[in-house]
Formats: sequence, structure tokens, C-alpha cells
Amino acid sequence: MKRAFLIELTIFRDYGIQLLGLGLLVSVLVGVGMQTVLVAPSVITTMFFMMGVMAAAAYDEQNDWGRFRLTMPLSRRDVVLGRYGAIVVLGLSGMVIGLAAAFLVSGLAAMGVLPNNLAAKLVLDSEATYGMAFSTALCMFIGATVASVVAPVYFKLGQTKATQYLPTVIVLLFILPVIFLANSGLFDNGIPGLDAITSILELLNTSAGVTVICAVLVVLSAIALSVSAFVSLKLYESREL
Amino acid sequence: MANVISSGPLIEARGLTKHYDGFSLKEVNLSVGEGEVVGFVGQNGAGKSTTIKALLGVIGIDGGEASILGTLSDKLTRPSGAATKERIGVVFDAMSLPGHVKIADVERIHAHAYTTWDAQYFSKLIADLGLSVDKRVKDLSRGMGMKLSLACALAHHPQVLILDEATAGLDPMARDEALDRLRDFMAEPGRAILMSSHITSDLERIADRIVCIDDGRIVFDKPKDEITDEAGIARCRKADFERVAASGVVLSSDLRCLHHEYGIDLLVPDRFAFAKSFPEIPVDRMTIDDYMAFTLKGGVR
Repeated sequence: MKRAFLIELTIFRDYGIQLLGLGLLVSVLVGVGMQTVLVAPSVITTMFFMMGVMAAAAYDEQNDWGRFRLTMPLSRRDVVLGRYGAIVVLGLSGMVIGLAAAFLVSGLAAMGVLPNNLAAKLVLDSEATYGMAFSTALCMFIGATVASVVAPVYFKLGQTKATQYLPTVIVLLFILPVIFLANSGLFDNGIPGLDAITSILELLNTSAGVTVICAVLVVLSAIALSVSAFVSLKLYESREL
Repeated sequence: MANVISSGPLIEARGLTKHYDGFSLKEVNLSVGEGEVVGFVGQNGAGKSTTIKALLGVIGIDGGEASILGTLSDKLTRPSGAATKERIGVVFDAMSLPGHVKIADVERIHAHAYTTWDAQYFSKLIADLGLSVDKRVKDLSRGMGMKLSLACALAHHPQVLILDEATAGLDPMARDEALDRLRDFMAEPGRAILMSSHITSDLERIADRIVCIDDGRIVFDKPKDEITDEAGIARCRKADFERVAASGVVLSSDLRCLHHEYGIDLLVPDRFAFAKSFPEIPVDRMTIDDYMAFTLKGGVR
């Protein structure tokens, strides 16, 4: 698996740099719009998880790389686990860089390097720091979930075919259930479990609560990716290349 | 890595069967022994690439058995097949890496993949090709891409080379160089090459045996010398043809001919013996292309 992982990182390197540039640009634009640095790690983390998995599938089809890779001393298992390893490393790298960028800008603001009116908005106080931690963990969970859904489809069908089917998969998994539930009358007397959700969200008011929720989101992300990797392994075993 | 000397074929397919909608490989038998270069020929869509993919285990098979270096092909893409794949070099019909990758990264990727990767040898091959390590795969011409692929396949010192249209896109000089590299490769004992190609003139220069596939079936498997050194094309008039057929010099089961406006070309398995028996009938040397034409398009009497 280590070989496949290192190969993936070599293939990803240039794209990762491009993606980082794009992520920072989007972070600046959104950050300026919202007048906060909170968004940088969230944007970059989500982008890295989601775009990483899509780009990897696209590279597999370039010049039949996916087929040639299997003629190297790598097993199908190595390929799948190497891919998930690379996606996780890419996503977490995005998170680390985003957090570093946010703290750097906040630090500059605190040192008075930036204009006063801007500095006041960009300095991260304790509350904003916890807010950033939560939004970053939530975006990591969203990015990891999307990656977990699309990666098996890419492993089964390849990028070209998957691009045709994925909109249907997304609609079936994420949109139709919402429409169905909204029109089912199930929520006429209130959303079941809303109280529980509200009480969970109330945890966000305390630093300990934020830490717990972030930890839960990390665990849920790991579970989603693990289940997805298991499914991908099964699907890729029988893939004809 | 020292090559393991094997008693059986290094590459083997026995009754290999694979079904697709509209096409099937039908009980393909193929073997490449130690020290052999086998040319694999056939028309487009005849089943060459499918056979190679089945041998490499990148597609499943529906029947029969395939193996490389004694490892069953369906095990090659399992963890247990990795050690065997260290000893296999593969070149497909294009540089098989994403276009944005630089040649320096191509080297890194192969160095990660193969424990036997010889960075020094690769650098020498790249220098011989005049390629800069900063060049990207997408910026290489088709010919350069093929040369780079061949360099990658050779630089981990494989025991077996499998080349799928590897000389396609190369100019005659470059094909010469590629064939020289392959001859150097074969100079070491215990090695073998399976090489599919449409450029049969290359196979005439390097192959020991020619295997032809058509519509998913092997139609002939012959030592190359039997085709190019012994067989011939007798340029017959109709009356000559009838006389030859009646003489029994060419067995009726071997009698294959191509009808032209002004005569009949006849495949003769031994052109020297034929020339002795029928000195008045001109006999030309046979090429692999000619032999394929007789086999695939020729009629029997």
C-alpha cells in the first residue's frame, strides 16, 4: 500500500499546489465578503477532499494510467487503499494549511500590521477560534462524506461513466429523500429529534462541547471513509480495465 | 535481480476464453519460452490487446488459464502477484502516465513501484534519448513517449517484456534503436518477449515465432523462419496452378491461394523444393504480411 500511496502523492503533487492556490483565492474572496478568516480552513478542507477524489479518478483515465498501474507491482487492494490514503492526506493537508493561513492572518492583525478596521475583524478571539474549529470539522465531515460517496462510483465505473451516473446518485441519496420527507407530512408536527439536535448544538456554547463535537465529526468522517474504502475494494476487485 | 531460469514457458495461455458483447476470445493457446521473442499479429480488433490484458490480469477471464512466470494471471493483481510483477516489463501503445507528470516524476513513480528500479540505468537511457527530466509527458511526441515507456520497462531489469504495439508511432531510425534495445535485453539468459505489432517488418527482424490471431482465435503459430526463410509465393497462371495442385508437391490441406486478375498466387511451404519441382514458375520470398494475407484472406482450392 505504501508504494501505491507514494505514487498517488507524486501524481497529485502539482495538482495539489494548483488546488491550494485556488483554495486560498476562494478563501480570500469569501473571507473578504464575510469579513472573517474563519472560512479559510473550511473552504480548503472541503475543496481538497472533494476535488482530490475527482481529480484522482480523472488521472486514472489519462493515457490509461489506471490500467498501466495494475501492471506495476501493486495489487488492486494497494491501489484502493493508496487512493484513500492520498485523499485523507490531501484533505488534512488542506485543513492544516487553511488553519495556518487563518492563524497567520489573525496574528498579523493582532500585531497591528493590518489596517485598524480590518484588524478588528480578522483577529481570532477564543470564541471565533472555537467557531473556526467547529466549521472546519464540519466541512471536513462534508468533504469526507462526499468523497466517500463518489470514490466507490469512480472505482467501479471510471471517471467518464461515473460523471454520467453521479448526478443521479446524488439526487437519489441527497435530494429525493429530503423532498420525500418534506412532503410526507412526517414533519407536520415538528421535526423528530429536533430537540436532540438543538441540545447537541447547545454544546457548541462551551469549549468542551466544541471539542466533543469536533471529535465526533472526525470519528464520523473516519467511519464514512472506512466504509467507503471497504465498498471500493469490493467494487475494484472485479473492475475490468 | 538475477533472472530465475524456468523450465516451463514464461508466458502461457491455455484455452483462454473471454466473452464480450459482439466479441470473444476463443480458447486461445499461446506460449513464450525462455530466450524467445514471440510476435503477436492480427488485424485491428482481432483480440491481441484483449489477450495481453487477460495475461496481465487486468481483465478477468471466462475460461482457460493464463500465467506469467508461473503466476496465474488472476493472481497478478492480488497482493501475492506483486513479486512476479517486479519481473515483468510492460509497454502499452502510448506513454501510460497522466500528461501533467514530468519525466523526473515518471522516474519517481517507477522508483516507488519497483524495488529493482535502476535509477542509473534509467538516467542513461533518458540521456541517450536526449530527454530533459523537466519535460512533461503531454509534451512528448508519440514516438518519444514510446521510447520513454520502453526505458521505464527496461530500467527495472525485468525477466519478461510484454509490448503491445510498442513500436507504433516510431520512425524507422527510432524503431531500429528500439529493436537494438530489445536485442540487448534478450542477450541475458532466462528472458522472453511477447510483442504485438502491426509493423511486421520489425517482427521479421527480431521475432523467433509468429502467432496470429483472428476473430479471437489463434490461426497460426509458426517459427518465423518457416515463414520468411522457407515459405514462398508461387506466381502461377491458372494452368500452372492446376498442375501444381495435381502434382501433390503442395499438400491439398496446405493449398492456400489468392486470386488476382492476371493469375493466382499460391502459398508454398518450401519455396526451394518448389523451385526445383517447378523451375518455370517464379517463386518469391514470403513476408509475414503475405503469410497473414494467405491465411486470413486466402482461399483453398
